[in-house]
Amino acid sequence: MGGAAVEMRSVSKRFGSVEALADANLSARPGEVHALLGENGAGKTTLMRVLCGMLRPDGGEVLVEGRRLPPEGTRAAAAAGVGMVHQHFTLVPSLTVAENVALGTREGGGFRLALERVHERLTELEQVTGLPVDPGAAVAGLSVGAKQRVEILKALYRDPRVLVLDEPTTVLGPQEVDWLFGVLRSLVEEARTVLLIGHKLDEILRVADRVTVLRRGRTVLAEGREAVDAPGLARAMIGRETTPAARPARVEAGERVARLKAVGALGEDGRTAVRDVTLEVHRGEIVGIGGVEGNGQRELALVLSGRRRPAAGSADLPATVSLIPQDRGAGGLVAGFDLAENTALAFHDDDAHRRGPLIDWAAMRGTAHEIVTGFDVRAPGWRATAQSLSGGNRQKLLVGRELARAPDLLVAENPMRGLDIAAAAFLRAKLVELKGGGPGAEEAGGAGGRPAGAAPGIVLFSTDLDEVLDLADRVFVLVRGQLIAVPEAERNPAGMGRPMFGSEQA
Amino acid sequence: MIRQLLRPRLRSRRIGPLAAGVVALLAATLLAAAGLALAGYDPAAAGRALVSGAFGSWERFASITLVRATPLILTGLAVALAFRAGVWNIGAEGQLYAGAVAAVWVGLTFPGAPAWLLLPGAMAAAAVAGGLWTLVPVGLKLRAGVGEVITTILMNFVAIHTVAWLVHGPLQEARGVFPQTDPVALAARLPRLGSGRLHAGFPVAVVLAGALWWLLRHSAWGFRVRAVGASIRAAAVSGRIHTGRVVLGAFLLSGMLAGLAGGVEVAGVTFALYENLSPGYGYTAIAVALLAGLNPLAVLLAAGFFGVLQAGAAAMQRDVGVPAVWVSAIEALVILAVVAADRFLRRGMAGKGGG
Ligand SMILES: Nc1ncnc2c1ncn2[C@@H]1O[C@H](COP(=O)(O)OP(=O)(O)OP(=O)(O)O)[C@@H](O)[C@H]1O
Ligand SMILES: [Mg+2]
Repeated sequence: MGGAAVEMRSVSKRFGSVEALADANLSARPGEVHALLGENGAGKTTLMRVLCGMLRPDGGEVLVEGRRLPPEGTRAAAAAGVGMVHQHFTLVPSLTVAENVALGTREGGGFRLALERVHERLTELEQVTGLPVDPGAAVAGLSVGAKQRVEILKALYRDPRVLVLDEPTTVLGPQEVDWLFGVLRSLVEEARTVLLIGHKLDEILRVADRVTVLRRGRTVLAEGREAVDAPGLARAMIGRETTPAARPARVEAGERVARLKAVGALGEDGRTAVRDVTLEVHRGEIVGIGGVEGNGQRELALVLSGRRRPAAGSADLPATVSLIPQDRGAGGLVAGFDLAENTALAFHDDDAHRRGPLIDWAAMRGTAHEIVTGFDVRAPGWRATAQSLSGGNRQKLLVGRELARAPDLLVAENPMRGLDIAAAAFLRAKLVELKGGGPGAEEAGGAGGRPAGAAPGIVLFSTDLDEVLDLADRVFVLVRGQLIAVPEAERNPAGMGRPMFGSEQA
Repeated sequence: MIRQLLRPRLRSRRIGPLAAGVVALLAATLLAAAGLALAGYDPAAAGRALVSGAFGSWERFASITLVRATPLILTGLAVALAFRAGVWNIGAEGQLYAGAVAAVWVGLTFPGAPAWLLLPGAMAAAAVAGGLWTLVPVGLKLRAGVGEVITTILMNFVAIHTVAWLVHGPLQEARGVFPQTDPVALAARLPRLGSGRLHAGFPVAVVLAGALWWLLRHSAWGFRVRAVGASIRAAAVSGRIHTGRVVLGAFLLSGMLAGLAGGVEVAGVTFALYENLSPGYGYTAIAVALLAGLNPLAVLLAAGFFGVLQAGAAAMQRDVGVPAVWVSAIEALVILAVVAADRFLRRGMAGKGGG
């Protein structure tokens, strides 16, 4: 093991009563893409934060290229060449791309900000990596996908020996994933090391050379790529077999629940983000909308869920609309609120959860409990705040809450984002049940209570075309703010890709 | 929040805002003592004078310290409420003056009215005037996205200059000698408690603090305020919270509390309107609210602390010869220490305002 680039030995870390890491081990060699896998809350992010010096472990040691790192301190880790792309964005919205990249580098550290240098090197990087970025663009106006590209460039800019990427692909389109994997391969060809976290096994296995699996804070598997396959990894991660999700049956759609007529909407930057969208949604159907992030998804979802008034046209919407927003996990949750308080965001004025003007916190905790058990949200305790949950568990809490509203219309943007295999399969099954008005609908609607058969209409936005093709009854793509129907005959990745062609840079 | 503070913390670095306040106080006290010693005063004697000036006897404590603390409680609540909603209302001073003007006007205009009508009427007018004084900043914020920090500060100047104009002109006393109004009718004054100068405004302020704490914690309205303050985006996305309405309500209510402070000051202490009626209560209120970690119950303690400082100032000046400006300097030190402690203690974690 002498030549390991990263060597983490029996690292442990507790948060209160939660044992996030229990003697976890990880060994990655130079020149390999090393995948770190595990279910939501397994400790992947925690382990990587220890590696980057952001968290002090309770025990264990960390060596980078043979040299032991101090137990805490981001500077030492950075000096050793460790760079990280975090699960949640760390960009400063009010600064430009170049300024964000300059933060914490030599160019940004002196008295004068040497931004020309940054621009120059970004342009170089752009040529080497083939990734389009506008160094002068303000980060606030960027789409989630573009922000993620900036995060990756920011890490690459520092020329890391060891690059950690925590679920980098969840917000990227297929072409961007290919691009990223190309970059990763060229990095490891220079004998650097890449540590990659993700939940989509087939994607990860395309690029990984070796795999480490964590389960409940322990290393349960460390093997070469050739020795593993997806079902075996899934078994190692969850500790049991997974059953492949059944394809949903097409159900006869019911009455119309929502109608958009010639809707237009403005983006954050005041430019037109959605134009002339006409769409009807019926009970019991899943409308799938594919497309690269940043083509108006966010704005259309806000209008469709009644969270924003359209700038043009009309929106005819039902009483209860659930929204699972785009922003990773945190978008619909308050970081400092606990489970019951985050539940209350959706239920505080609901008759079942209040007594007059007062919130019935006992009832609220009851509903939170249903969500937490129903969606298997792993939380370190009842008073746990959203920010102390792992990324996937935040997403589960949010999804669970939105389904618990028993909506007439569910608008979901990449709802599977960040979920592990089991949770994603569970949510798929749930969506299918919901649209059929089946048992899942009643269970999820426990809080509201609603006659069976009153299935919601579901609008599913996704950057994952397979997900759309698999689940949706009707398929659209959103390209530069325009909604384009995909005809029945074209329902395949190529057919969907055609109208999207040329939109990757949006 | 209290329960949270009492709960043992498992190796977490999270320390409650109250603890931050205590650390800040200790630091400020040490700094002040060092400053006094360097300036050639005896810090121990100064401290003793301050303590005996503020606490010397029940009489003194009630008549000076608690009377000073009362407007600080009300304006402190005003600022705490606004800040909890994510509204940066720096205009409590102006809203206080608006309230004082309204209370005086009612007290002078209806001298014949019975006390049971006149006093509540004057207090209500004060609250409404304070609320109205926020309308321009609220409107600019919600309609045009203009930041309320600037607009509320500007409204302070407008209020202060309006008061100056009033007491030199339309509302000047009948004798026309001093730039002040005639005293309001007896029926428009707050009853005294006991033999000293403590007035009924103090218990009212305490009750309001308790009510606000309870509402923020238990009511749906309070929850919406906390949600909007903690993350306006998550609140908006929830689809159940009309963020504009919450901001409007919190801003108005904040202005009403500050306006009431002005009314209470007129009806309980000054009985007339004049320039410099407030020694910057509306600004000190920001320090009070921050020191209290925006917790209405802790506002009582923080306002009490500043009341002690201000009441002790006179004694320090009289007995030890420390200029009263030193007390202002100590206040400023406390504010700095609070801000610093806040940053240090919460560094690395997203701000959490417990309910
Ligand atoms: N700051 C914190 N305070 C308390 N508990 C925490 C904190 N950070 C993480 N945890 C807990 O540690 C455990 C591991 O979390 P971690 O974020 O490492 O999971 P993960 O493997 O990255 O999961 P995911 O796939 O969902 O991102 C979780 O149970 C989480 O709730
Ligand atoms: Mg994670």
